[in-house]
Amino acid sequence: MNKLSPFKKNSALTLGVELELQLVNLHNFDLTMESEDFLRRLTEIPHPGELKPEITKSMIELNSSIHFSFPSLIDELYILKNVLSNEAKKTHIGICGGGTHPFQKWKQQRIFPTERFAHVSELYGYLAKQFTVFGQHIHIACPDGDDALYLCHAMAHYLPHFIALSAASPFQQSVDTSFDCSRLAAVSAFPLSGTPPWVLTWEKFEEYFEKMIRLQIIDSMKDFYWDIRPKPEFGTVELRICDTPLTVKKAAELAAYAQALCYWLLETRPVLSRDIYLTYMINKFRAARYGLNAIIVEPGKPQMPLAENILKTCETLKPYAEKLESASALLSIEAATLANTNGAHWLREQYNQSKSFSDVVRQQVELWTK
Amino acid sequence: MTQFLPSFPLHTTPLISFAFILLLGFIAGELVKYTRFLPKIFGYIAIGFLIGPDGLNIVTHSLLVNSKIFIDISLGIILFELGRHLDFSWLRYDRALLPTSITESGLTFVLVFLVLHFFGLSWLQAALGGTIAIATSPAVVMTVAYDLASVGPVTRRTLILTSLNNLFALVIFSFLLPISNAHNLGILNIFMHIFYRLFGSMILVICLLILMKLLARLTGKQKESQFILFLGIVLLTIGIASILNLSTLLTLFILGVAARNFDHEHLLMEVNFGWLARIFFILLFVITGVYLKLGTVSNIIWIALTLIFIRLIAKITGLFFVGKYSRLTKKQSLAISFALTPMAGVAIGMTTMLTDFNPNFGTQLNQIISFVIALLTIIGPVVTQLAFLKTGEAYPMQTEGRYNE
Repeated sequence: MNKLSPFKKNSALTLGVELELQLVNLHNFDLTMESEDFLRRLTEIPHPGELKPEITKSMIELNSSIHFSFPSLIDELYILKNVLSNEAKKTHIGICGGGTHPFQKWKQQRIFPTERFAHVSELYGYLAKQFTVFGQHIHIACPDGDDALYLCHAMAHYLPHFIALSAASPFQQSVDTSFDCSRLAAVSAFPLSGTPPWVLTWEKFEEYFEKMIRLQIIDSMKDFYWDIRPKPEFGTVELRICDTPLTVKKAAELAAYAQALCYWLLETRPVLSRDIYLTYMINKFRAARYGLNAIIVEPGKPQMPLAENILKTCETLKPYAEKLESASALLSIEAATLANTNGAHWLREQYNQSKSFSDVVRQQVELWTK
Repeated sequence: MTQFLPSFPLHTTPLISFAFILLLGFIAGELVKYTRFLPKIFGYIAIGFLIGPDGLNIVTHSLLVNSKIFIDISLGIILFELGRHLDFSWLRYDRALLPTSITESGLTFVLVFLVLHFFGLSWLQAALGGTIAIATSPAVVMTVAYDLASVGPVTRRTLILTSLNNLFALVIFSFLLPISNAHNLGILNIFMHIFYRLFGSMILVICLLILMKLLARLTGKQKESQFILFLGIVLLTIGIASILNLSTLLTLFILGVAARNFDHEHLLMEVNFGWLARIFFILLFVITGVYLKLGTVSNIIWIALTLIFIRLIAKITGLFFVGKYSRLTKKQSLAISFALTPMAGVAIGMTTMLTDFNPNFGTQLNQIISFVIALLTIIGPVVTQLAFLKTGEAYPMQTEGRYNE
């Protein structure tokens, strides 16, 4: 029987990110299915972190190393971005961020040839190819499994912040979806998506996991497509809700925001209430639909603009961010919220200027490479 | 009484020729599909050969005359598309790409030149043979790649190397062609001829590019409107180049290159000629089949086979020794070398141009090259298909309904 790894205990609140990136044909700016050859080329170039395949051949995943603070994370992400961009130029493909590709046809995508991806494709049919969407995962180290589960639930209130701030997927299949983040719809189609069960101790979580294994619903933790989940082998809590932003700077800032939030939550330990899940889905929807203009709702409180909630949170987190050397990241988050801008706004602006989706992707590539 | 009846004997019209060739090609292509290992192109060419003078000989002179316009349009679209594959920014960042092309093209030229000279052809005839041998058939490579939904580094590199070797072939050919008629033209005339053809093409391209961008600015970036714009410009180029006695092939190729590399304002879109190109490609391949000359004298067979062999060796050598600096794997280098095998439309175009320009020049060269083209037209698509399949870039299951997109 598959076993759940013991939760790796971490003393420091380190952070790391995973970014799923788009590989683009530089002539028509459609996705190009070249990850196999591109990753082979990248193995020949020394670089920090890790570069991996993803479910379809037009995606790659960039993993940072483990970092203690925002400055070292952003430095490494810039290095990785430069390695990728230089290598991409040599083989004449483009790389860019963004949660979806505006006009790729999912039926044309090809599954990357590994045992796991073949299994996913066999299991989920067309959903596997529709999963050609691009997300950012943020890992924050936790002292133990109980804390990881605490954070999974305590962060539920803040996940809409991450959706709105990272949103960079307004277009899908050549259509303006009217969402700022349309990527999440592709994730929601999976039966094991959503939120983790209301389990607050690692021991209980192990019982839950074993039950799911016995019922033959899952084989491993990887089968849970939750918005946030514990990652026992890393000893982290993993936020999986963000779109891949259009720049590595934004990706690092979001990670720093998550780190400061986790720090504050673990320090102050607000009491958890299961009621958070009464409003979680509607807040998630509104953040995805309206981005920073969303109005969120909390049980027992008046409705509040999401942007206001983010600004309030930033204010609370300032002393924590300073201790974590991420004050500048927090300022950027604050500034973007005040300016009411995210990736989706930028992408729509580009489209309005040219009325061409291929032009939008070209500009995404240029922005990523800058 | 019988005025309402058509006058006899019945006359064919260009439209009937068009439909006849198209439908025959279509049927042959569909039949070939059942073999599962032969590309559709093989069917188009085979049916052409079957109805041609070396086969059942049922092709009338009027059908061939009527089809000329379609051939010109087909080659025009192909050359324009081919030019658009030549992206200077790739050459800038992959510093081994241009040297790879120069090596494979240069070696092809030198080795074919030596063999032809060794077999008794004059240096000029041998040089013209070497020049024609440089070019890979863009129509075959593009059609096979499209039919197999082949995408990836090998396919893209095959296309840019095809683009480059066609450029070299067309430019060298423009130099050698007037020399082939030296005793009638005189030195000064030869230089003027070369100068006119090369610079004339460039000036025409500059004018057409300005026009194209101007119209694109007016129409905006809609696929439908740019499709019509591109097609209109291709037809206009064919027309003007013919009137001005410029090389239509070279002019359209340069126009494609210019449209790719000198559109700094990003006014032009990537246009897929799709269905339309398919129709013209079928016509082109069927007519290519009609013109194939497989019946030949035995001593030419050996020269032709030697040429095909050394041509392949030249391409493999270029890819292996210089291509490795582009960090290609051995499998990729080998696949690209084989994928560059086909010779067809452009080579036929050059051979015809040579015969038209100086009918008395090099009958033996014409025989050899025609036979080489015939063999490579038949074998080439199969080899290219195999190369793309072996690299895993082809995905034949994805071709259904692609033209609708």
